[in-house]
Amino acid sequence: MKNKYLKIFIIIFFVFSFFIFYYGLKQKHLYTTENSGIQKFPNLILHDFFTNKKTSFEDILIDSNYYLVNIWSSWCLPCRDEHIYLKEIKKSSSVKIIGINYKDKKNNAVKFLDEFGNPYAYILNDKDGTASIEIGAYGVPESFILNKQKEIVKKIIGPIDQKKFKKVLKIIKNEN
Amino acid sequence: MILNYIGNFALFFCLILSSIIFFTSILVLNNKNSFFKRNLNELLFFKFFFTLLSFFSLVILFINSEFSNETVLNNSHISKPLFYKISGTWGNHEGSLLLWLLILTFCAFFYFLKSKNRPSDERLLTIIFQELIIMGFLFFLLKASNPFNIIFPVPDEGMGLNPILQDPLLAIHPPILYLGYVSTSIVFSSSLAALMKGNINNLWAKDIKSWVYISWTFLTLGILLGSIWAYYELGWGGFWFWDPVENISLMPWLSLTALVHCILVLEKRSILHSWTVILSIITFTLGICGTFLVRSGILNSIHTFANDPERGLYILFFLFFLIFLSILIFFIYEDKFETNNKNLNFYSKDFSIILNNWFVMYFLSVILIGTIYPIFLEVLSNEKISVGPPFFNKLIIPFLIPFLIFMSIGPNLKWIKNNKLSNKLNLIFLFILSIVIAIFVFKFYSNVTLNITILLAVSFYLFFITIKDFAKRNYKNYSQMISHFGFSLLVLSILLNSIFSNEVTSNMRVGDEIKFFDKSIKLQRLENTKEANFLKLIAHFKIEDKDKIELLLKPEIRIYDKPETITSEAAIKTDIFRDRFLVVNLVKENDYLNVRYQEKPFMIWIWISAILISLGGIINILKKNEK
Amino acid sequence: MYNKKVKLRALFLFLSILSAILIIFLVLKSLEENVVYFLSPTDIKNLNEATAEKIRVGGMVKDQSIKINSDKINFIITDFKNEINVVYSGIIPNLFQENKGVVAEGVLKDKSFFEAEKILAKHDENYMPPEVKASLGEN
Repeated sequence: MKNKYLKIFIIIFFVFSFFIFYYGLKQKHLYTTENSGIQKFPNLILHDFFTNKKTSFEDILIDSNYYLVNIWSSWCLPCRDEHIYLKEIKKSSSVKIIGINYKDKKNNAVKFLDEFGNPYAYILNDKDGTASIEIGAYGVPESFILNKQKEIVKKIIGPIDQKKFKKVLKIIKNEN
Repeated sequence: MILNYIGNFALFFCLILSSIIFFTSILVLNNKNSFFKRNLNELLFFKFFFTLLSFFSLVILFINSEFSNETVLNNSHISKPLFYKISGTWGNHEGSLLLWLLILTFCAFFYFLKSKNRPSDERLLTIIFQELIIMGFLFFLLKASNPFNIIFPVPDEGMGLNPILQDPLLAIHPPILYLGYVSTSIVFSSSLAALMKGNINNLWAKDIKSWVYISWTFLTLGILLGSIWAYYELGWGGFWFWDPVENISLMPWLSLTALVHCILVLEKRSILHSWTVILSIITFTLGICGTFLVRSGILNSIHTFANDPERGLYILFFLFFLIFLSILIFFIYEDKFETNNKNLNFYSKDFSIILNNWFVMYFLSVILIGTIYPIFLEVLSNEKISVGPPFFNKLIIPFLIPFLIFMSIGPNLKWIKNNKLSNKLNLIFLFILSIVIAIFVFKFYSNVTLNITILLAVSFYLFFITIKDFAKRNYKNYSQMISHFGFSLLVLSILLNSIFSNEVTSNMRVGDEIKFFDKSIKLQRLENTKEANFLKLIAHFKIEDKDKIELLLKPEIRIYDKPETITSEAAIKTDIFRDRFLVVNLVKENDYLNVRYQEKPFMIWIWISAILISLGGIINILKKNEK
Repeated sequence: MYNKKVKLRALFLFLSILSAILIIFLVLKSLEENVVYFLSPTDIKNLNEATAEKIRVGGMVKDQSIKINSDKINFIITDFKNEINVVYSGIIPNLFQENKGVVAEGVLKDKSFFEAEKILAKHDENYMPPEVKASLGEN
């Protein structure tokens, strides 16, 4: 009899610890880097992808309610899946998409755009990856949604998929 | 390029083989003379071979810097030295899992080869459990962390390996630690199998003992290497911080240490059957639990890895699947244990081992609570806390005292029963001697507390008694004597080290001089040099005694470009009495250097004693093989 | 004989329960005493009065705030809402930089001044301590 209670107790204890760990993992703030410190988007000066002219973010980030800054590269496989959604997002009038081409060869990147289309209003070059680090990016692809005041509203680590795409639309349409 | 496919297909093949072995084993479990049973060895070898193939594909991908592979791209670059290209294979999440799997399949193969004297159904059951673990890891590898993801078009240059991990010690640390962790899986599987077949007895203990020794030895060495690395690379001059990740590696070691002793009692006295099985289960699940806590990023620690909640979730489910499976098996087959009505005598080796086992379990629970309490509290009440070294020191140090006393007396007792202690006079004399030494230290150094003095006395006691045992020239127990001697030396050197350590911290410019007791430390000049993949800033320090004995120390700051990181390389001057440890760091673009100078006595003895402890294990393994 | 054995067993049981209770009590008590709470600068501002207990403060090192002289380092930890001045004399980790995450352990002198005994850093440059992320994310 005594033994039975002990068994039940042990099982309950482990079930309890399982749920603690489970919710510990689920606690979002532990992992996402949303609002990760830099709130205002840094004003960097980079070279334009096509013309190679020096371009500052201040000059590009105008005339729109929202901006989506997308870090991409031709060698990055998930970027291709993401591209479809970027083209969808482009259809909305309230957002301007700006690409940062990360550690890439120009030939490859141009081929990539020819093949999959170009949703970007501007593309800036980040050959050595330093600008992306400065922005606070973790890898490719990564996207930042900025509002009119150039503040980071949302940071998306990894490719934009169906789920994240809906979230992006929600942000753009809601506050419009 | 082709190697990506080879590696990937080898893994798939491995999964297929693994499931074939798993399901067929279950089918033929009661069939005495099946063809399958006789040829299982070959199958296990093939599986090991395919994992090896997959592992070597990854190693060669790393050596050739083929950035078509995502793992290589993220963790390597062309200008990295060859040695670190190879060690970079297991310096990342995907590669280290592959290494883990490689050792796992090797263990399964090796176990089957070496266990011919066990009943065949028990061996088969062990392999079934082992395959279950292997399949779990294979799924995880293929699904959530495949090391052979292909990237196209191929980038020119990789992202590089974190420079702090570019270190010879850290290159061999994971393989050794994994050998320790993974070989506990055999103990786990075998104990569950033997339990189901009602085979937990002294013969089983005798056969599984060598696996326990192997994993214990490698785990000890692995922890030692990690600790030495932290000592000189993290630049703080400490070797143990009670950091969650360190605690996690210590916990399986503690339960394994308990198991090493407990299995002896089972072998010699045929008692403690269920306790041995419980310890085997605890040891392995703690190992997996460690993987979960470290890889999921649920903990916050100075040694963290890239976090991915999805991976964490997978390991969590796998961990609790194993826990519930073993609990279930334990409860169902519990009545298969041999019941024993043997008496325990207070003056016996068995009793002192059991007592020490309880102490070890107490230390284990303290560390476990201290490590996971912050997670529980955060989930339950959203408060963020951390549990620091004082908690562990306060709860562990006082209980080390009786622990060490039992450890000194225990080995001198006989199995079953002792009517009186042999050469009592000797023991008492040594005890008084140790107390006198401790009091001597207490008198002359004001910063020693009473607690520490008593601990010092008992560790001296253990030290003297183990030396006395060496003098008896009892060759039968050499391994035990060396390990115990090593342990007493370890406690002693840690204690003396913490009592007599001194340090000074300051911010200095070139030409500045600071005082450290009767010494002067002067920053003479700075020097810049360029190495293959980093810039080096060398600070030249001169340390002068009042007797004008000079010592030059040259700590470095290294600035790596891929990825852009700054690391400090401490300058350490080691001799048998003390380590002199000097580390510098840059603060902004400033002409001040942040300087820390430490004198740490008996540092080298901490490493030596840990090596001695594992040496005992090695001797035991070799001795077993000779027979 | 039988009687004696039963008595012995009862005594043993009693002793083990007693020591178990004592140990649980001891562990809980030291846990309570040695826990270090983690606060953000905003949490500190919302305190009624500065506690004398050891705490950890996390946030970002404010831009242009590191000042250094021969025996100490001053800097400001911010969570972009509130700030706290920190003074520290000791070794700093490699990753201690302006605009990077930091965790400092020490004692509050008053609600805007913190004396650190330890500065914690992590191996990975991209890594931000979860606590810091949380405290920055609460805004």
